[in-house]
Amino acid sequence: MTQEIAVVGSPEFTTGFRLAGVREFAEIPDEEKPDRLDAAVEETMTNDDVGIVVMHEDDLEYLSREVRQRVERSVEPVVVTLGGGAGSGNLREQIKRAIGIDLMDDDQPDS
Amino acid sequence: MAEDVKPTRKNLMEIEDRIEFSERGHDTLEQKRDGLIMEFMDILDQAQEVRSGLESDYREAQRAIDMARAMEGDVAVRGAASALKEHPEISTRANNIMGVVVPQIESTKVQKDLDERGYGVLGTSARIDEAADAYEQLLDSIVLAAEVETAMKKLLDEIEKTKRRVNALEFKLLPELRENQEYIEQKLEEQEREEIFRMKKIKDKKEAEEAEDEAAETHSEETEETVTADD
Repeated sequence: MTQEIAVVGSPEFTTGFRLAGVREFAEIPDEEKPDRLDAAVEETMTNDDVGIVVMHEDDLEYLSREVRQRVERSVEPVVVTLGGGAGSGNLREQIKRAIGIDLMDDDQPDS
Repeated sequence: MAEDVKPTRKNLMEIEDRIEFSERGHDTLEQKRDGLIMEFMDILDQAQEVRSGLESDYREAQRAIDMARAMEGDVAVRGAASALKEHPEISTRANNIMGVVVPQIESTKVQKDLDERGYGVLGTSARIDEAADAYEQLLDSIVLAAEVETAMKKLLDEIEKTKRRVNALEFKLLPELRENQEYIEQKLEEQEREEIFRMKKIKDKKEAEEAEDEAAETHSEETEETVTADD
């Protein structure tokens, strides 16, 4: 089954991906994000043709708790966030919970 | 809890069987958990590498598109972006790590040649091509990151599940079964002791009766003897 990559974010964020050929995208200007991002993300995630959703890490802040949890836990489609640094928030929490130690600790030399 | 079982030998045997079975299951699950964690460690290393690659690709792509925007103007960049004809596609295959199905994502049509892009060669500048190149590379990294991160999420879920099962067996089911086992054993011992005591009592009673009978018999014999003696 072939699927597509989708991008959700501000027009500045999505333009580059569209330049690379991404067809599924939702452009939401920064000032409308608090109101519209939830719905846009939900819609993109329920689209069966979408296999990967690309978002900016900062945009997660605009999401309501429920949607955010879905974004963080979802496997189909999987959401990849950009711009957040290596210790991407939720995954790190989940690792701590499942294994018992913070494996993504930046202070550790190399584990 | 311990009072729920009937202290019979059959129940005891059943519980002993269950304990053995649960212990075996517990060991197996523990091994599975450790194996999963090991697999996870491997993937984690990979994920961190992919992540940092992703971030640097993203920075680069951003720089390229900012440059294109600055040189060509936002409208030109957007115009080129809307003209794209080829779209990257991904296909997933299932891969199995210790019973956990993780996807293997393959992408097609991410890296495109200049003439495949569809926005024309004449109307746009090299800046836009550069930006498109950078973003194509970024998409490749994203696909890789998606693959690794999905695998991580699934593995973590499975680890958590297995851990819960191990703990449920270790801290809930097995202690309860052991408690029941002990309860039944003690109850049975108690019954045995009671039985022995009862036997002893009966024996004493019987012996006392026999002694009485004997005494009565000898007494009657004696009287008989005396009777004969009198004759």
